[in-house]
Amino acid sequence: MTAYFDVYRQLMKIGVMAEIQYRVSTYFYMIGMITEPVIYLVVWSTIARSHGGSVGGYTAGQFVAYYIVWTLVRNVNIVFTPYGWEDRIRTGQFSAMLLRPMHPIHWDLAFFAGTRIMSVIMWLPLAAILVIAFRPTISPTWTQVLVFFFAIWGAYLIRSFNQWMLGLVTFWTTRVGAVFQLYITAETLLSGRLVPLSLMPHWVQVLADFLPFQWTFQFPILALIGKLTTRQLFLGLAAQLGWILGGIFLLQLVWAACLRKYSAVGN
Amino acid sequence: MHEIRLAWLFFRVGAMNELQYRVNFFLQLFQSVLAIGTGLVSLWLIFSHTSSLHGWNPAQLLIVMGVFTLMGGVIQTTIQPNMTQLIEDVQQGTFDYVLTKPADAQVLASIRRVEIWQSVDVLTGVIIVLIGVLRLQSQFGIGRAVTFLLMLVVGALLIYCFWMILTTLAFWVTSMWHLVELFAGVYNAGRYPVGIYPGWLRYGLTVVVPVAFAVTVPSEALTGRLDTKTVLGAVALSLILVTITRVFWSFGLRRYSGASA
Amino acid sequence: MVKPVIHVDQLTKTYVIPEREGGLKAALRSLVHRKWRDVKAVDHISFDIQPGEVVGFLGPNGAGKTTTLKMLSGLLHPTSGEVTVLGFVPQRRDKAYLKQITLVMGNRNQLQWDLPALDSFELNRAIYRIPTRQFRETRDEFIELLDLQDLVRKPVRNLSLGERMKVEIAASLLQRPQVLYLDEPTIGLDVTMQARIRSFIAEYNRRHDATVLLTSHYMADVEALCKRVIVIHHGHLLFDGSLADLVARFAAFKTIGVTLEDTSADLSRYGEIMSVDSDRVTLRVPKTETPRVTARLLADLPVMDLTVEEPLIEDVIRQVFAQEAPLEELPA
Repeated sequence: MTAYFDVYRQLMKIGVMAEIQYRVSTYFYMIGMITEPVIYLVVWSTIARSHGGSVGGYTAGQFVAYYIVWTLVRNVNIVFTPYGWEDRIRTGQFSAMLLRPMHPIHWDLAFFAGTRIMSVIMWLPLAAILVIAFRPTISPTWTQVLVFFFAIWGAYLIRSFNQWMLGLVTFWTTRVGAVFQLYITAETLLSGRLVPLSLMPHWVQVLADFLPFQWTFQFPILALIGKLTTRQLFLGLAAQLGWILGGIFLLQLVWAACLRKYSAVGN
Repeated sequence: MHEIRLAWLFFRVGAMNELQYRVNFFLQLFQSVLAIGTGLVSLWLIFSHTSSLHGWNPAQLLIVMGVFTLMGGVIQTTIQPNMTQLIEDVQQGTFDYVLTKPADAQVLASIRRVEIWQSVDVLTGVIIVLIGVLRLQSQFGIGRAVTFLLMLVVGALLIYCFWMILTTLAFWVTSMWHLVELFAGVYNAGRYPVGIYPGWLRYGLTVVVPVAFAVTVPSEALTGRLDTKTVLGAVALSLILVTITRVFWSFGLRRYSGASA
Repeated sequence: MVKPVIHVDQLTKTYVIPEREGGLKAALRSLVHRKWRDVKAVDHISFDIQPGEVVGFLGPNGAGKTTTLKMLSGLLHPTSGEVTVLGFVPQRRDKAYLKQITLVMGNRNQLQWDLPALDSFELNRAIYRIPTRQFRETRDEFIELLDLQDLVRKPVRNLSLGERMKVEIAASLLQRPQVLYLDEPTIGLDVTMQARIRSFIAEYNRRHDATVLLTSHYMADVEALCKRVIVIHHGHLLFDGSLADLVARFAAFKTIGVTLEDTSADLSRYGEIMSVDSDRVTLRVPKTETPRVTARLLADLPVMDLTVEEPLIEDVIRQVFAQEAPLEELPA
């Protein structure tokens, strides 16, 4: 346990340093990324204002809060892209990963956690600009902040496992891009990334309840902007834990299959 | 004219090259369908909660989405691949090969690459625009269509100039890569008419990044919101920007030749 | 008898690869009905390596060297046959096994590109759970031996190819592995750097009594480090023994150097003239003929000096690799 703690500490440190190294490109990327929620924010707060102040239970200010917290959640749930696996295999990095006496997922979890921490620090000034420009309605309690803190890392883990498994599909097909795009589309519609799910038709909400996506976007956002009861907050964390454990289980199976495939063929 | 023949030649060679990878057509089509599906869901969600967004009705917003897709296809097919190639060439010193060719360097640098499959978006964009027009329920004259086409050309030209000026900066600043990510993000703002954005953002999307001219203005032309003054202004602006781009490019080229000598 | 560190018995690896035909039609047909073909990369190879041995693993490109190294390090499963290293079955990828080996390959992956190597060292300490004191000792020892004092503080991307390789090797050995698989550790480096890395490997082997299996295109590496070589070709084991034996067995020719009082004599009837350097002539003579030719030279001509030399190892190796036939068909 302490040994893993040590590995995580070292890798997070390296992640932080890498992010500092690439701060300029991180900022460019972040500004580009923030366009997406700003569009949603403007559209939905416009609609709310033109309908006497609220739509689907959200006031204009709450929409603003939703999408600004969105940018924070998005910053934390960026993980290793499935596209990267092809490169890992081709350049022999994958072999190097296998030779370390440690499951390779720890590397990605720790390294990206480091980059995320740095990324959030760099996000702060942009968040300040968004707050000043759009004026969110938000006043979280300490419980909500605490639950939010765990929830974004829950979102990080769930998304990490999902994208790792998508990436491992590289061992069977060279068209991972298409699979990943399908995943992103499903995520956009079913996670609360596009709009809060309560604005969606009922059947979409039922469907979303059976899928992991909403726990990677909507749950942490709602936790912080005060849309959930205390009971819902803790049930939500439990649901995230369930998806994390399920993800670990499924990942073991996929990983074992992928190792069998790799060790039969090499690269 | 020599340059136009050259452009056509490059286009043909590029297209033939890419035609070898037919699978990419289906991948692109798949991607295009997913993007349009998401866009349609967004519109449907919006209009299930309201009847008009900042004065635009469903058919009109459908047109905006079509123009956005169409123009995105044009950018991805020609402008962006050429500009990223140029940045790479300047960085690695391979730009010399372009300079040694007996043709205008700016033209050559702007037409060398064609990502033909990206033009799937042009096609789907046109289809969406047509569907939007059919559902407009208002009289639709030849005048509007001509203005629309003119504004499309002006929009593409302005986007090209915007990219070209930024790319020319590569002669001074070496790492211009992030621009692609940044632009791809900001261009998304064009999904909706820029009028819905708050003043400062609208201003930025018009003057700093010409998304307004690329998508909103042509859509306004098609939905009959454009007055003659704006049309003339846009044309004049494009001519001015083309000239500025040309001057800036020559300036950058002198700097490049000086530095590598 | 000491138990061998590496035990390889009848090791075989067969790849099943899709058959490719030209043309779009064939490509489309292959989507539906794909033809497969077996390729034996490694074919019934057996050898044992004792603790502390440094063994050169030779063969032309595509001979099966890398495939064998990958099987030994647990990256590939053998199709048949048996491998044990340090008592472990590599393909099970026991953590205890992975901690005791290292594989250094041409592509360099141990180091973080943008950071000074010291940070990567620290990371390896954590991953391999090296006790802090032992880590510091080893790190400082390597820095000293490879002269890395300044290099480990610079971002890796700012190092030259050779410098990077030195740091890379240091990073790969921090956990003090008992078994080293080195795949072309000196490729692309200049002569001084090659010598530096060579002497480091020798020193590491001496100090830690580690077992080394090394592939290299540079015979200088092999000559300096390896008492024993294993040659494979087309997946078959061609030779296993000392370098001297390799030369004795495969060299078909020897070179005879003669210095004559009278330089006008024609020597071409004694053998193929390779060079004439003022009064010294070098001849190439079939190995079996050497005693007879030497005797004739001494009898016929006023010889001032005469030497018989084995050919250069490079030449012998090149000759061995040029052979298409497996072991049993070669002349004894």
